[in-house]
Amino acid sequence: MAKVPMQFRLNGSDRAAFADPADNLLTVLRRGLNEFGPKYGCGQGTCGTCSVLIDGELHLACLTLAAACEGASIETVSGMADGPNLHPLQNAFMEHFAAQCGFCTPGMLIAAKALLDRNPNPSREEVIDAIAGNICRCTGYEPIIQAILSAARVSPAQRRS
Amino acid sequence: MPLGLRVAQSLSEAAGILAADPRARLLSGGTLVMRDVNEGRLTEGTLLRITDPAFRQMQVSGNRIELGAGVTMAAVLANRELGFLHAPARAVGGPAIRNMATIGGNLFAETPYGDFTVALLALDAQVMVLAGYGSARAVPLEEFLAGRARGEARLVAGVQFNRPQNPADFRFVKVSRVKPKGLSVLSIAAHLPGSASRIGPARVAYGAMAPMPIRARGVERALEGKALDAAGIAAARAVALEGVSPATDAIATDWYRREVLPVHLARLLGERG
Amino acid sequence: MARFRGRGMASVNYPIGMNLGGDPSQALIHSNPDGKFTVALSAIDLGQGMKQVTRQVAAETLGVPIEDVYVDTADSDTGPHDMGSFASRGTHRMGNAVIAAAREARGVLLEAAAEELEVNAADLVTDGRGNIHVKGAPSRSITVRATAQAAQFKQGKTIAGRGIFLIPLSSVDAETGEMNPNTAFAHACLVADVEVDDETGDVTVLGMSSAYELGRVINPRMVEQQLVGGAWMGISHALYETPEPYYPNPDHGPRDFNEYLMPGPGDIAPYSITILERPAPDGPFGGKGPGEMCANPVLPAIANAVYNAVGVRVNDLPITPEKILRGIRANGGAKPQARRGGAL
Repeated sequence: MAKVPMQFRLNGSDRAAFADPADNLLTVLRRGLNEFGPKYGCGQGTCGTCSVLIDGELHLACLTLAAACEGASIETVSGMADGPNLHPLQNAFMEHFAAQCGFCTPGMLIAAKALLDRNPNPSREEVIDAIAGNICRCTGYEPIIQAILSAARVSPAQRRS
Repeated sequence: MPLGLRVAQSLSEAAGILAADPRARLLSGGTLVMRDVNEGRLTEGTLLRITDPAFRQMQVSGNRIELGAGVTMAAVLANRELGFLHAPARAVGGPAIRNMATIGGNLFAETPYGDFTVALLALDAQVMVLAGYGSARAVPLEEFLAGRARGEARLVAGVQFNRPQNPADFRFVKVSRVKPKGLSVLSIAAHLPGSASRIGPARVAYGAMAPMPIRARGVERALEGKALDAAGIAAARAVALEGVSPATDAIATDWYRREVLPVHLARLLGERG
Repeated sequence: MARFRGRGMASVNYPIGMNLGGDPSQALIHSNPDGKFTVALSAIDLGQGMKQVTRQVAAETLGVPIEDVYVDTADSDTGPHDMGSFASRGTHRMGNAVIAAAREARGVLLEAAAEELEVNAADLVTDGRGNIHVKGAPSRSITVRATAQAAQFKQGKTIAGRGIFLIPLSSVDAETGEMNPNTAFAHACLVADVEVDDETGDVTVLGMSSAYELGRVINPRMVEQQLVGGAWMGISHALYETPEPYYPNPDHGPRDFNEYLMPGPGDIAPYSITILERPAPDGPFGGKGPGEMCANPVLPAIANAVYNAVGVRVNDLPITPEKILRGIRANGGAKPQARRGGAL
């Protein structure tokens, strides 16, 4: 079976990969490109830890056909920091103890970024809806909600990544 | 032979591929098909993507609404003309799933999934079906679902339905164990034109109360011509279970679904618009 | 149709660690020539904070800034032995092992500094900011960094320490079955308020309050996050989770995280926590730790609250709406129980 060549932007860099026709994007990112930010939690689209942004929209990489991402701009948690400067969401997660084991954290950060990029001033309900597709086993969600609300209070200029 | 991939640039090309190749499987949002791939249920054959813009088209101005099968839940939510469908669209998954899941895919989702289809059933939707090289044929959604039960596989190009004259006449509830996202214990959609005075032709549909979304014909008969008051609601509640055959699954038993359906129906009907 | 509120309580008397072979933990500490310390452990940090707690304990005992302590975790191929991260033993056992190792390392550090300053080691103190000086004479000082370099490249001393901690083995009395397996107990009391819908059996957890007695709280924010997260899991176990919903019938087991029910961010109950400290005589700075206690009392408290609300006693988990509804039907309706205390 011939591989499918594909090119796309990953966290601002041009990347290329050869994928099997039915490969999902998570496989191509982790095994093809050593991009370990998004995690394999279920492969069923129910846990959210593989969350990525594709052309600015929140998607689950485990259910996304890699070949359909030709030419797309993909963002993962690995691209959220600006060199040594963490994204305000990352700082907020630290300050609010919003991570314990950390397995949900990449997906939570990306889901939160998807929210704040569209809605800079979300209500608590909107934050809850934004992370509805991300399971956390450790924190009980409240610290994550507080971290996202806190990051939203940081000015947009500081938040732009 | 492992899975291959083909891309169809038009709906009719896609219909032709599907008709010619029994092992071709349409990939719309991916929430169903990619899961089958990941879990090893789909290992051979061809995945088919459609890049035809018509697949994602939305015609929402005016009385007759047409939505392509590739329209996502998020696209419905982003469209203010479709406000009456926002509750059903929001009931599908979380925000990432809603960016991916499509109207067409939801038509094939197994119970207890398929809540958007429940809403379409209460809107008397027609499914635009393509078979081979021809033009699309309108099939009433109920008939389409019966065909699905028989294992018929057809290419869905889109759905069509009339806009409710008064959006407040359209009600929807999804009952789930966990919030804000969770599988259905049950869902109910109701279009009750004239519900502020006397109900005209009622359409009520249930999700997760049968192997697929069904019309609640007993409730429809009970409500037509009545006012949506305590007596009307009681009459509807009394026949709420007509025609249901809910399953037992990890979420709830058939016993439980039967016990609480009349309760949730009465609460939905009793809500102020 | 009505919603009934109920309150339930549970308290926990909680053993710290276990008795197996004395439940030992070992730690090794050494200084690098730049005056930074590395703590080697085999205790796993799964997110509960093992690294942070041992870092604080090591820095405090050594007398150096916390930024100058690095904890290397959990290489059981190369690290010193530990029984593992379970049985709520980590803070107590590993904390004590780290203190023992840090004391030995500090002893060598002060000996090396004493040699450089030409004083007795007994006259030296650390300022916690990276300096070692003569008691009462802060100008007679040397940095930890300079001491480490002198030790390494001039004196030929290893600024290092070894530590092990275990509790006395307790054997079982052959006649009475008595034993004394634990040296320290932590405690908790938790109150849960719920609302039950008598037409659907749905339970909403309105709020919870708790008091936890944990010895010495080494890191208050980490304890808080453990208790908050653990309480969520307690609710999850009490009302939602099961791999076999119809046990002993194995059918309809959940196949994914949609079918395996867990409360989502829309189901969070407000939770207030009070921490009490009654330092354990044998704990690291008196610490005991919350351990699994963060989740345990929630389950019986919620079971009691459901009983208080509608008079239905559910004795198998999870406490589902169906079980409650069947109980209400069997009782001929909701039977709210008496309640002391204030309004919910």
